[in-house]
Formats: sequence, structure tokens, C-alpha cells
Amino acid sequence: MSDATFRPATEETPLARRLLITLVVLGLGLLVLAPLVVVFVEALRQGVGEALASLTHRDAWAAIRLTLTIAAISVPLNAIFGVAAAWFITKFDFRGKAVLITLIDLPFSVSPVVAGLCIVLTFGANTAIGGWLVGQGYPIVFAMPGIILATMFVTFPFVARELIPVMIEQGRAEEEAALTLGAGGWRVFWTVTLPNIRWALLYGVLLCNARAMGEFGAVAVVSGKIRGQTATIPTTIEMLYQEYLSVAAFTLAAVLALLALVTLLLKTLLELRHADQLAATHRH
Amino acid sequence: MKAPLIHRSPMPGLGLSMGITLTMLSLVVLIPIGALLLKGASYGPAGIWETVNRPRVWAALFLSFRLSLIAALFNLVFGVLLAWVLVRYRFPGRRLLDGAVDLPFALPTAVAGISLTALYAPTGAFGSLADQIGWKIAYTQWGILIALIFVGLPFVARTVQPVIEEIEREVEEASATLGASRLYTLRHVILPMLMPAALTGFALALARAVGEYGSVIFIAGNIPLVTEIAPLLIIIQLEEFNYDAAAAIGIAMLLISFALLLAINLIQVWSRRRIGHV
Repeated sequence: MSDATFRPATEETPLARRLLITLVVLGLGLLVLAPLVVVFVEALRQGVGEALASLTHRDAWAAIRLTLTIAAISVPLNAIFGVAAAWFITKFDFRGKAVLITLIDLPFSVSPVVAGLCIVLTFGANTAIGGWLVGQGYPIVFAMPGIILATMFVTFPFVARELIPVMIEQGRAEEEAALTLGAGGWRVFWTVTLPNIRWALLYGVLLCNARAMGEFGAVAVVSGKIRGQTATIPTTIEMLYQEYLSVAAFTLAAVLALLALVTLLLKTLLELRHADQLAATHRH
Repeated sequence: MKAPLIHRSPMPGLGLSMGITLTMLSLVVLIPIGALLLKGASYGPAGIWETVNRPRVWAALFLSFRLSLIAALFNLVFGVLLAWVLVRYRFPGRRLLDGAVDLPFALPTAVAGISLTALYAPTGAFGSLADQIGWKIAYTQWGILIALIFVGLPFVARTVQPVIEEIEREVEEASATLGASRLYTLRHVILPMLMPAALTGFALALARAVGEYGSVIFIAGNIPLVTEIAPLLIIIQLEEFNYDAAAAIGIAMLLISFALLLAINLIQVWSRRRIGHV
């Protein structure tokens, strides 16, 4: 038997392999990579100058500033929640833990539009809470607080669900040792826990941020899409697109696509270099 | 004796971590969802039924669910293939492909929406090709289907991938020594091992597709009864200040999400019982 025809019994025939690889490459290329490429092609259709000019437009600039502000507020808040929830869930034993974890994960299975609807029904001007807040001069819906709430809702589980498995795996022994040696609670957290979870935390924050900056459905419902005031990058893309300002729409889209690419790159880097300190589901 | 609600523990920070967790969870998630459910309770089942039981609403719910199901089935098959190829085969560009699988998670939905439309519109790169054989994709149900396949693509691949990595070659060797052909081994040995993870991914993709809005509305055409999805109908009702109708449709969608969540948990319980791990 020649070497060329030898094949372990646990492998497919070379023909089958080649067929499957071709199928998968074609599928991903057409379904996923082509849309990505099109964003940049359409943005640069009339040249780099035109694309950059559309970015400096007042509304585009306002949208970028608003999106950065929203992310700068909602991502740290969700990071604090994620760390607190992971600490509470992994360092203590209590009844109803499974229910709590399910409730934290809930936003992932709710449609963003329904999430926005929930916030409108809670804090809208015609509700009890919302009406009172508007009376005090703090409108929630069609204003920044509503957009922050909507963004926090859709990104709520990201940090917690990344930290919980990591902290379960690491156990409590190190913290207990530090406590026995006389360290206070905060000292234990900063010097023992945080160094152990920093990469997982960064990973969660990274994904949370990407989603926060790109959220469309929930924000579209609560923001009112007031140009220059409550229009984020994604809602501005919609408005520009519907006004047939294709280059401007796709240039803003390209900004978000670049953000997505950078996020993916950093995510892959984290997975390669710190796989042992990330949640088990991401190890591959 | 009944177990205490919270066990005594030497760990510090119980009050603070519990306080932050429960306060933020309530404020951001539970109270808003509660408000929707409360609104629903105030109409009663009959009131919700009256709103939902209209041709336009039925058409939207049915359309969203039917196309999501087809897209998730496509992703079930393609996702398992994708995971298999990415784990088992070595070829140039594999890492790049592996990274590209996550792109639908990372790319904002509005961006995906307009770029898919640009691709599949009659003037677009793929749309013009399809147009030559008289196949209209954008602004028809085909367009919605493609958008839903896009957003659900990573789920099955990402849940199945770790399972394939865990499979021990000995199992396949044993199957081969006992005279099974490769195809027989794949069908009767490998596939059953992948099934629980694949079904979990399928349910996740389905749940995501049913609620998807951003990537669909640009390519959908949004014609009532034909290409109008359920989330869009909620937005239309809200824009007309028709909060009751919006809430009723919202509750119907929330119930579908809860049912899918329950299905995912049941699949995991079932698989844990069957093979001892997820």
C-alpha cells in the first residue's frame, strides 16, 4: 500500500474534506465576509475625501459624541454590576441562586424592541414614575437616561456571565487565606480577586462595549431619534440611509464596523494569551 | 430543618454585593419587564387576545416565527459543519475563518442591515445576479431570511465547537475497528454526542431571530401582511402612541422568548441526564 492512499480510520476521505472546507469557506464568505466588505466599498464609493467630509458633518459628529458618552456611562455601570453579582453568587451560598442567574441572563432572550418597549412603559411621560420625573425636570424616555437604561438592559449579562464561571472555578481558598492573614474586605478584592479575574473582566467589558455602541433596536424605541440630541450612531445611520445619503450612512457604518473588527481582534488576542483565565466556553 | 436563606460565611461584602446586584437588576431589568407584564395583566388574556387576534398582527408574528425557524434550521446544519471543519481540519486561513464566525455578534445590527440590503438589492452585487434569473431577494421574505441567517450564524457553531474538541479519538477508533464505515460512525456515534449542544445553539439562534429588528428592517420592505416582522409592528404602534397594542404584541413576543428559554433549559437537563454533562 502506498503512503498516498493510507488514511486513518478516524478521518474523512480527502475528497470529502476538500468538499466540506470549500462549502464552509464559500458559506462564510458569502454570508458574513461579503457584508463586511460592502460596508467599506460603499463608504469609499465617492472617494476618501467625501467619506471623511460626511463624518465631520454636525449631526454625524453629535451622534459619535453621544454614543461615546452613552458607552462611557453604561459600560462601567454594567462592569460594577457584573463584578458585584459574580462576587455575590460565587462567594456566598444562598437559596434561589439558579433563579438569580437566570434573571441576570434574561435580557439576552428578550427582543431589543421589547426591551425598549418595557422602558417606555415604565418611564414614559404617561406613566406614574415617568410623569413625576418629567415634572421634576428629568425626562427619561426620549432623553439620555432612557438611552442609557436601554443600553444597560441589552448589555446587562455580558460581564456577569463571563466572571461567574471563572470565579466558580477559582474557588474561595485564596480569599479565605488572605482573610485569615488579616486582610480587610477591600484589600482582599483589590490584591487577590481582581488580579485573578482581570482578563475575564476585560473580556466581558470588551463585548459589553461593542454591543453598547452598536445597539439599535432598543435605542430606536426609547430615544425618539432627535437629530443632534438623542440620535446615536446606529440611529443616525438609519436616518441617513433613509434619506438616500448612502456615503454618509456607510461611512458611519464603517466606523462601527472598524470598532467591531478591533473588538474581534482584541477578543482573539485575549483568547490566545489568557485562555486559562477566561470562562471555559471560550476555550478553543 | 429547612436550609437558611443565606448561609453564614466569613467572606466580606455580602451586603454590598447583594445590594448592588439586586438594586441594579431590579432597576434595569425586573421593573421594566414587570411593567410590561403588569400592563398585560390589566387587559387580561381576553384583552391581549383581542389585540393579537387581528390579521396584521398574526401575519407579523407568524412571519417572524416561521422565517426564524427556517433560518435556525439552516444554521443548525451549517453550524455543525462549520464547527466540525474548524476543529478537525487544518487549512490555510482557518484562524481567520474562526474569527469571522463571531462577526455577526460583533457587527452592529444596523450596519449589517444596510450592508445586506446593499448586497442583495437589485442594484447590488448579489442582487443583480439573482435578478437576472428573476429572483428578487431584497424587499421580499428571502431578504428577511438572509438577515436572520446572518444574525443566528454563530450560535450553533460556538456551542458545538467545544464539544467536538472534547471527543476522544478512541471512540471513533473503536467504532472503526468494529467495522463501521466513516459515515456510519459520524451518523451514529459523533452526531448523537453533538446533538444537545447543537439543539441549544439552535434554540438560541431561534430566540435571537424571533426578536431581531435592526438587521431585518432595511432589507425587509416592511409591507403589512407580507414582509412586516413582529418587532417592527411594536415600533409602528408606539409611533402612533398606541401603547396598549404595542404592549399586547410585546407580551406575545415575551411569552415566545420565555418558552424558548424554557426549552433551552429542558434540553440541558435532558442532556445532563443522558450523558452526564452538557
